[in-house]
Amino acid sequence: MKLSLFALSALLPSALALWPLPTGLSLGSTPLRLAKGFDIKIAINNAPADLVAAVSRTKGFLANDKLAALVIDRGASSASAIASAKSLPSLTLSLAFEPKGPCKSISAEAVGPIEGRSEGYTLVVPADGSGAVLKANSTLGLFRGLTTFSQLWYDLKGTTYSLSAPVQISDAPAYPYRGFMLDTARNYYPVSDIKRTLDAMSWVKINTLHWHVVDSQSFPLVIPGYTELSAKGAYSAKSVYTPEDVKSIVAYAAARGIDVIPEIDTPGHTSVIAKAFPEHIACAEATPWTAFANEPPAGQLRLASASTISFTSGMLKAAAGLFSSQFFSTGGDEINANCYKQDAETQKSLSSSNQTFLQALDKFTQDTHAALRSVGKSAVVWEEMVLDNPVKLANDTVVMVWISSANVQAVARTGHRLVHAASDFFYLDCGQGGWVGANPNGNSWCDPFKTWQHAYTFNPTANLTAAESSRVLGGQSLLWAEQSGPQNLDSTTWPRAASTAELFWSGPGGNVQAALPRLHEVVYRFRQRGVAAISLQPEWCALRPGACDL
Amino acid sequence: MFPRSWKAVIFLATIPRALALWPVPRTLTTGSSFVVLSPTFKITVNVPNPPQDLLSAVSQTKTYLETDKLQRLVVGRGASDAGSLKTAAVLPSLTLTLQNALPVLPISVEAVKDVASRSEGYTLSIPSDGKPAVLSANSTLGLLRGLTTFSQFWYDLNGVTYTNVGPVSIVKDVPAYPYRGFMLDTARNFFPVADIKRTLDAMSWVKINTFHWHIVDSQSFPLSLPDFPELAQKGAYSASEVYSPADVQDIVSYAAARGIDVLMEIDTPGHTAIIATSHPELVACNQASPWSTFANEPPAGQLRLASPAAVNFTANLFTAAAKVLPGKYFSTGGDELNTACYAQDAVTQADLKKSGQTLEQALNVFTKTTHDALAAVGKTPVVWEEMVLEHNLTLSNNTLVMVWISSANAAAVAAKNFRFVHGPSDYFYLDCGAGEWIGNNPSGNSWCDPFKTWQKSYTFDPLANLTAAQAHLVLGGQQLLWSEQSDAQNIDSIVWPRAATSAEIFWTGAKLPSGAALSGTEALPRLHELRYRMVQRGVRAIAIQPQWCALRPSLCNIDS
Repeated sequence: MKLSLFALSALLPSALALWPLPTGLSLGSTPLRLAKGFDIKIAINNAPADLVAAVSRTKGFLANDKLAALVIDRGASSASAIASAKSLPSLTLSLAFEPKGPCKSISAEAVGPIEGRSEGYTLVVPADGSGAVLKANSTLGLFRGLTTFSQLWYDLKGTTYSLSAPVQISDAPAYPYRGFMLDTARNYYPVSDIKRTLDAMSWVKINTLHWHVVDSQSFPLVIPGYTELSAKGAYSAKSVYTPEDVKSIVAYAAARGIDVIPEIDTPGHTSVIAKAFPEHIACAEATPWTAFANEPPAGQLRLASASTISFTSGMLKAAAGLFSSQFFSTGGDEINANCYKQDAETQKSLSSSNQTFLQALDKFTQDTHAALRSVGKSAVVWEEMVLDNPVKLANDTVVMVWISSANVQAVARTGHRLVHAASDFFYLDCGQGGWVGANPNGNSWCDPFKTWQHAYTFNPTANLTAAESSRVLGGQSLLWAEQSGPQNLDSTTWPRAASTAELFWSGPGGNVQAALPRLHEVVYRFRQRGVAAISLQPEWCALRPGACDL
Repeated sequence: MFPRSWKAVIFLATIPRALALWPVPRTLTTGSSFVVLSPTFKITVNVPNPPQDLLSAVSQTKTYLETDKLQRLVVGRGASDAGSLKTAAVLPSLTLTLQNALPVLPISVEAVKDVASRSEGYTLSIPSDGKPAVLSANSTLGLLRGLTTFSQFWYDLNGVTYTNVGPVSIVKDVPAYPYRGFMLDTARNFFPVADIKRTLDAMSWVKINTFHWHIVDSQSFPLSLPDFPELAQKGAYSASEVYSPADVQDIVSYAAARGIDVLMEIDTPGHTAIIATSHPELVACNQASPWSTFANEPPAGQLRLASPAAVNFTANLFTAAAKVLPGKYFSTGGDELNTACYAQDAVTQADLKKSGQTLEQALNVFTKTTHDALAAVGKTPVVWEEMVLEHNLTLSNNTLVMVWISSANAAAVAAKNFRFVHGPSDYFYLDCGAGEWIGNNPSGNSWCDPFKTWQKSYTFDPLANLTAAQAHLVLGGQQLLWSEQSDAQNIDSIVWPRAATSAEIFWTGAKLPSGAALSGTEALPRLHELRYRMVQRGVRAIAIQPQWCALRPSLCNIDS
């Protein structure tokens, strides 16, 4: 017997631990258990090592998740049905076509051109004791399918089972960009925390880590040829990302289907560069900081200075060499005009070149973007670069909307591809109160807290024409780290960032009421895997879907 | 020579980064000499027949001195101190002595005395001439507080443990208020014993002396009582999410050894839906829907307060829970009573009719009977503010009241002449600001939004709107974690360092040793240091600012 998804969610609300919800899904109601000798077979010649490793991790999850079903008796009443269920002997992975030569690795697919990535797959789990089959057009698609497969199972006293066989899934993402942004400059995150986050991201099929690696407060990135930046700008000699660290993070991410897009925010948000290169920074640590920056410390690259442009271009190029992504973000948000107005050097440069500020920014941007293009990178910028300070940008530039979702339409009209990252839906740091000192009544600038439910209701194509809608690459949750560090990375990020992951994989229009039981399961499964995702509700509610709805 | 208080002012003004003490002692003079701990540094317990928990506290303090390894929070992390450390005086030892304290009682005994009669004060001197440091107190509990202070003076530079503020003299540090608490709700979500113990450790580091344990509620009943085993068997989330009698004793003794009294709460007559899983006959409107008609949050369910059987059950339940606790107080709750629940409950209506009572009269009998049962086992009842503000009950004069709905209600409680504890949601609720948790309500927000920052909490005035004659009614205050959106995953990050703010307000009082009023601007660098020290000790206190600011605290002020 097969049920439609909606009927099923009413009948077996906690039997659907899939997140993000596959775009094509049919489930049965037959119990099925994993055979003792359950195996995952790769029917591909010379399977790439990262696929073999992904299979091995999946087997680890199947053995170790031990997630008891989120129902009042945690599955105990299904014991006899499970005991008499058929056993699933195996899962076989194959590509939907015979590749010419060795097939590409997950890692290679994950960093390929974003619109050309193949993340879809089909998964069939029969209820009759015959083997399960996972097929895709790429190893990346197979990886996504393995992730889904690992979410089908619960544990009852050592038996790994599902109550929803047979399963038929035909799945592919609605949007090619599903990201998470982490700021490692306001506070530092050790490599192990980033890797744990990458694992968690992969479990909900997030495919991009937007790494806001440096900012005015610290410069933890060690860039070959520019090592003074981190030597003088990191919080400590230990709070750095060496080229080996970056390589290790990029490889770890790629093997999990994640592209790492680095950001070196310019020309604002660069105060810390003054520690090593004071000549390139205007208004370094100028006071009162409120006159020169949105947060302390003030300091911006002297964008009108030829030597600063050359320095920035060289640095960006050198940094880009550490990453395999085709994208590199140059930032461009929150440029403070007063900083440049009061900087004699900048004023001199502007007058000697007879440029306005905007003309100088245009040249700065074109030169630095050209440097990136020379090493094969497309630029990513924040929305101000097309709205507040419209500069000439290459057509392939991707724009991130952050200030407000109300700005999406204006960005889309510029013709650029865009990523949703609006503070009013996707900022994970909002709602934690003001952090600036001597301001006891200060509140979070983007209060209130953005709940998972709020993010989940976002419409990526609101007010957009069909042509404008086609420019939406996807979206992401973002964690700015003024009030975060390794201590609360998991609890601030999870499960909320999963809400956005589903929105951009499964597509908009999801229902928070139907999603909540599944999101509880994400939380409980994450914990079993060592990620400290927080409770969305009392456990009483988690075990009784619907009982705590308004 | 400057008077002592002037010296402190000048010191704070010139080297604000060098005082990692939290809460600030009531009296304090510091110098600007470097003192390093001797590699053979000893703590000598000059106390006859020292109790085991005092020896354990000494041993723990020595461990912190060795393993904190907190570098100074300055740019350079203290590297420029290296030269001074080479010529600094070496502190050979710390000697603990008791004054006027016979017989010598364990910390654990001192910690659970009646809140008004505890002796937590101490005197501490740390010379900068190579002579030993001396800590003296009137009780082992005072010695524990002094050890806690002593352990906060020290930084690490390349393996050398040092302070830069010698000599130190704390002539008399005694708390301004006797009750300094932290409340944890272990019913909405369960917290393993290990997480509670880690929290008790952190509480002791800031001299919090009361663990208000909101142990059960409508959602779950993790408290396993030998006389009422069915409550946890049927009401706990699972067999492993239970506090066994041994767990409770373990937590109580762990707390007491750290100077912390455990104040347990079994909230009644509301917040008791879960009792229906084993005693359905005692609970009105059990899981009635829509829940919003019958309770402030799901599930609905309240004890049938007019039923003699329910009154009797509750009295026995309190006795069973309270008799194994050493503290003098026990909370019976009493918040958020829902009248619609009783109005629609046929059994309650029949009971009322039979006895000829109004609901309010029945509540009075319920409260009096259950409180009498507690009195019979030597406990003083604690109640939430509604029991004195919204109901007209006969409560014994010594009943302790907790203000929670709003700080504006403290004056009304004082006007009723009850002793009370500050726990107002508008300053001290740690759960506010995390968004709506009720399902299917995407635009909902936290009911007590916004988030209560440490800065906001720190501005709380315990005596606001009270007369001088009412001041003695204020026993102290506490921050509270209701756990609808919390559990072991985020307890540290939600609680620390914020819960330290009430710890300082109620220990240090309104004024710093300099005579200046408490100020968040002065406190920020110290709170950073507390946070970094907590991280070193394994508590995941969160960053309150970018590290750039932590190393340059005033530079991230709004006006700098």
